[in-house]
Amino acid sequence: MAMSVLKEKGRKYVGLPEFARVSGQLVSGLQLEQQRGTVTSVPDERTIRYYLAEGLIQTPEERQGTASVFSYLNLLQLLTVKKLQAEHLPIRKIRELVAGKSEQELETLLGVRGPAGKKTEAKQYLESLLAPAPTQAAAPPPQHLDASSHSWQRVEIEPGLELHVRSDYAPPATTGKTRGLLERAIHRLRRLRD
Amino acid sequence: MEYPKVEFFTTHAKLEAGRDQTVDVLIRITPPALSPDLSTRPNWKGRPDLNLSLVLDRSGSMEGEKMIRAREAAMFCVNQMLPADRLGVVTFDDRVEVLFPSEPVTNKQAMKDLIARVTARGSTALHEAWVRGGLTVSERMLDQGINRVVLITDGLANIGITNTDEIVTQSMGLYQRGVSTSTIGIGADFNEDLLMPMAQSGGGNAWHVVEPDDMRHIFQTELEGLIAQHAHTVSLSLIPADGVRIVDVLNDFDLTETGRYRLPNLQAGSPLDIVAQLKVGAEDAGSQMRLLDLRLGFTPQDAKQAEVLKQAHTVEFASQVENSLVNDEVIKAVQFLMNARARNEAMKRMDAGDYAGAEFVLGVALTETRAACASFAAMPAVMEECASLAETASSLKDRLQHKLSRKKLAYAAHHRQTGKLDQ
Repeated sequence: MAMSVLKEKGRKYVGLPEFARVSGQLVSGLQLEQQRGTVTSVPDERTIRYYLAEGLIQTPEERQGTASVFSYLNLLQLLTVKKLQAEHLPIRKIRELVAGKSEQELETLLGVRGPAGKKTEAKQYLESLLAPAPTQAAAPPPQHLDASSHSWQRVEIEPGLELHVRSDYAPPATTGKTRGLLERAIHRLRRLRD
Repeated sequence: MEYPKVEFFTTHAKLEAGRDQTVDVLIRITPPALSPDLSTRPNWKGRPDLNLSLVLDRSGSMEGEKMIRAREAAMFCVNQMLPADRLGVVTFDDRVEVLFPSEPVTNKQAMKDLIARVTARGSTALHEAWVRGGLTVSERMLDQGINRVVLITDGLANIGITNTDEIVTQSMGLYQRGVSTSTIGIGADFNEDLLMPMAQSGGGNAWHVVEPDDMRHIFQTELEGLIAQHAHTVSLSLIPADGVRIVDVLNDFDLTETGRYRLPNLQAGSPLDIVAQLKVGAEDAGSQMRLLDLRLGFTPQDAKQAEVLKQAHTVEFASQVENSLVNDEVIKAVQFLMNARARNEAMKRMDAGDYAGAEFVLGVALTETRAACASFAAMPAVMEECASLAETASSLKDRLQHKLSRKKLAYAAHHRQTGKLDQ
């Protein structure tokens, strides 16, 4: 199973039906237990749409015509969600575990890391521990600056949703903080919808 | 592939019908025996290949008997290894030196000659030495063998990174990347609150050597454990039936990030006893109930893929339960795990300066053990447990012994909770 998931690395899936077909095959390969009949074990298009709406799968940025282009990261997100569901974890906890995770981290969670990855991973990790601790980031910009001295940039996340970023904004430095930020964003979006 | 065997036992064979009750369930996981099964595994030599790094403290406090025994133990280790294994040795005081990098164990004499020249000096750069040891292992990672750092020290980390949480977190980080860490603390002056969690999070074993003479014995146990290792990255989930609630798991296992119990590595010849306490509602006599579903996740030593073993435990309810017919193994497992908690409680009281309180807690544990195990008091394990509790309780009277007593409590509690045989 591990090999078949890793083989998908770098692939793209144009459109929901294609994404559902490939992920369906891989999920069957995972041999997950169906959870007390409440969740279908193989994801169909409806399930995937639900996951996208719930923020369990990141909405693809790339499009071809009207079709979304799903990535390997999206695939890993979907497989991890299925795996964690089979382990009886609540959606809330699953979102926490999956959101903001890199391909590498999701592969580890899924237990499909290739031996090649593992071989150098330990070494790189240890070398990073020996490296002198990074010096503290430059002092934060002084507060109460005249807001007009900053420029704002608009980034389209998906049609209908824009992010406005101030020029002095620094994205979160750690995965944990990124996750927290994503959660806050999702929460705010939900409140708008409700 | 041969799977571990999972068995369930309850104090009474059947549960009493018609009332709510708390049930102790003993879950015994027995890894398959080590057998050179040449027919099914063509390349299987009967044990996994080893890729070890010994990280040896040579700081000033090691001077004398300890240094001599540590050298002997390291040489013993060289003698036990096979040409297909790899070994590297790192020594440390305030400086960290790679005595020799990871090499196949082909020229044993040359390795032993180098080890023989290690003498004590300086202070303790424990963290950097551990990282260097890890590096010698990670240069030549084995896919299916065992990649492990064995850290041997008698002192406190006082150079470089010394923060316990930071080192423990790193040890877990390294284990997640395929290199495990065992620690051997010698004497009374090392920090058990660093070395134990470091091994626990690091997927290895934590050993305490009281007398330098025991070094070799511990090395042997560690090596045998490596050779007998059946599976790593072991986790357990227990899913109670509707109407059943898990009140407690007496082993106090850490949880994985997905909320499963994190279990120690499985070793051939070392069954792991786990006790779960369940609240069960009233049922009719004669009825049967699927009490508990178990899922054991593990990665066999000779495979790359994680496996999941699923099993369920079904019990029967009877109108009357024969009170004299109890399962000694369940009674013993419950009591020993309660004693592990008592030892941890005694440690807490010691840390608060309440030595009389600590002694009292151990005295109560001893009395309870004698009462609970009265009908099989002659069982060697029971006699040893009682002797250990009595000895530690009395050693608390001696101020000079406090540091050592605390270590004895810590390691005994840990070994009982993780199914490690006492040394």
